[in-house]
Amino acid sequence: MIKLGLKSRSRRVVQESFMDVEKSKICLGKSKNKNRREEIGENRSDSCWESLPTELLREILMKVEESESNWPARKHVVACAGVCKSWREVMKEVVERPEVSGKITFPAAVKQPGPRESLMQCFIKRNRTTHTYYLYVSLSQALADDGKFLLAARKCWRTTCTDYMISIRADDMSKGTDTYVGKLRSNFVGTKFVVYDGVPPHSAAKMAKSWSTRMVGSKQISPKLLTGNYAVAHISYELNVLGARGPRRMHCIMNAIPSSAIKPGGTAPTSLDYSPTNPFFRTKSDKSLAIHLNSQQEDSLILRNKSPRWHEQLQCWCLNFHGRVTAASVKNFQLVASSENGAPGPEHDKVILQFGKVGKDVFTMDYRFPLSAFQAFAICLSSFDTKIACE
Amino acid sequence: MAAETGTPTTLTLKSNDDELFSVAESAAILSVTIRNMVEDGCAGGVIPLDNVDGKTLASVITYMNGISAIPADEEKKKSYRDKFLSDKDFETLADMVLAANYLNMSCLMDAVSAKIAQVMEKKSVGWVRRKFGIENDYTPEEEAAVKEEHKWTFEGVETDDDN
Repeated sequence: MIKLGLKSRSRRVVQESFMDVEKSKICLGKSKNKNRREEIGENRSDSCWESLPTELLREILMKVEESESNWPARKHVVACAGVCKSWREVMKEVVERPEVSGKITFPAAVKQPGPRESLMQCFIKRNRTTHTYYLYVSLSQALADDGKFLLAARKCWRTTCTDYMISIRADDMSKGTDTYVGKLRSNFVGTKFVVYDGVPPHSAAKMAKSWSTRMVGSKQISPKLLTGNYAVAHISYELNVLGARGPRRMHCIMNAIPSSAIKPGGTAPTSLDYSPTNPFFRTKSDKSLAIHLNSQQEDSLILRNKSPRWHEQLQCWCLNFHGRVTAASVKNFQLVASSENGAPGPEHDKVILQFGKVGKDVFTMDYRFPLSAFQAFAICLSSFDTKIACE
Repeated sequence: MAAETGTPTTLTLKSNDDELFSVAESAAILSVTIRNMVEDGCAGGVIPLDNVDGKTLASVITYMNGISAIPADEEKKKSYRDKFLSDKDFETLADMVLAANYLNMSCLMDAVSAKIAQVMEKKSVGWVRRKFGIENDYTPEEEAAVKEEHKWTFEGVETDDDN
C-alpha cells in the first residue's frame, strides 16, 4: 500500500514539474505533502492529455491491448503503435510474442515462432489464374471462413528455377520493396526447395545491439546493409520405396532453428523484423531473446512428414488431421521433428506443421513453435509446387 | 475497510482551487491516498488534494458515494461505473484519470482507462495525436513503414473464387 501511494505521488511529480522520478522519491521520503504544496497547481497545462505521465498512458494502452484481443478489433492495438515512437515502445512492450500469447498482432509476428502450447490455425487460399497464394490466420473454428490476412506469395518463373516471392502485401510481391519478406526457390525439377529470409536470422543479437544504440542516440542505423537472402530452410521431396505408388517423403532442414528448440524449455531464434528494410519494427522486448542463437556447431532442426498408414477399408493412405483437413490430396502432410541423432522422445510425436486440403482452392495450415508463420507458409508452398506426386 | 461503525465520520476535502467538500469517511477511503492519511491520523482537519480541481473532485466524490452505496455486487458496481462515465467528455476523462491516479483509486482508474481506450479506438491516429498533443516524431522512412504496417493491419484481400 505504501509503495503504491508513493508511486502515485511520484507520478504526480512527473506530470507537474517533469522532475525525474528518482529525485521525486527522495524528496517524498520526508513528508507527505508539505514540501510539495507550493510547486503544485500553478503550472497546470490546459490539456491534461499533453502532460499525461507515461505510467498512466501505459495503463490506458494496456486497456486497449486487453479489450481488443481478437482481429479485426486488434487493429486498434497496431494503430496505437502508429501514433509516435513512445507509444510504439509501450505497445511493443505490452503485446506478447505469439510464442507466449498465441496471437499475431504486428506484422513482425509472422517471423516469430508460433505458440508453444497449441497449433496456430491458419488457412491458405489459392488463386490459380494469378498464381498467388494468400495466408490468413483463422479467427473462428470454421475451417477457412474468417481470417486475418498475414502473407501473400506469387509464383515467378525463372530460367532455371521457380521462385515464390513472399510479401506482407496482398498486391505487391516484388523484391526490393519494403513489403518483401522472403522467398521460396524451387529447383528446375521441383524436388528441392530453399527458403530464403530477407533478414539474417543469426544476426539477431547484432541487430538488437544496433537497436539499443539507436535508443540512446537519435541516429538510425542504416537498414539497407541487412538486406539480402539468407537460406533458412532446405526442403526435399523423395519418392517412397514404393515409388510413385506411395506417399512422398518430405525432409526439411531448418537451418535457422537448433534441434534443441523442441526439447522442453528449448528456444528458437526470434526474428526481430519481418522486412529487411524495416528494422524499425523490431520489438524491444525481443532483445532478451536475441541471445538464444543457433551457434554453427549445433545441429539444425530436421522435420520429416509423418508416415501415413494404409487404410484397408478405404484403400488409401491416411493421416489423422483431427477434422482440420477434409479432402484427400497428395499435398496433405504433417511434419514432426526427426530424431536422426538419437532415440525418439515424445517431442518427436508432436505435429509441428500440418497442411491439407479443405476445398478446391482452400487449404488449412496449422503450425506451432518453433516454426514461424513465414517458415510454415514457405514449406506449404513447396507442397503446392513439387512435381513428385503419388498415383 | 477500517470504517468505524456507529456515528459516521465525515472528512473535509479541499481541491486545489480551494473548494471544500464534505464526504463520509467510509466513501472517501476508497482512495488509498486518503485512507493512508486517515490511518496515519493526519486527516483531522481539512485534507488538501493539491492535484485535483473542484469540478473533478465533485465528480469523484459523486462516484465515491455512488459506488460505496452499492453492496458487494460486482455486476451492479460495473454498471454503475459504466453509467457514471457514459456522459463524460474526453477532456473530463483526462482529469478523471489523473485524479484517480493521484487518489490511488484502482477501480476508478481501471474504469476510466478502459473508457478512454474505448473512445480512442473509434478515432484516427491524427485525432489521437492532436488530443494528446503528440508530435509525430517518425522520420519519413519510419512513417512509410508505419503506413505499410497500417495497410497490413487494415487491409486484407478477398481472393477471386470464380476461377
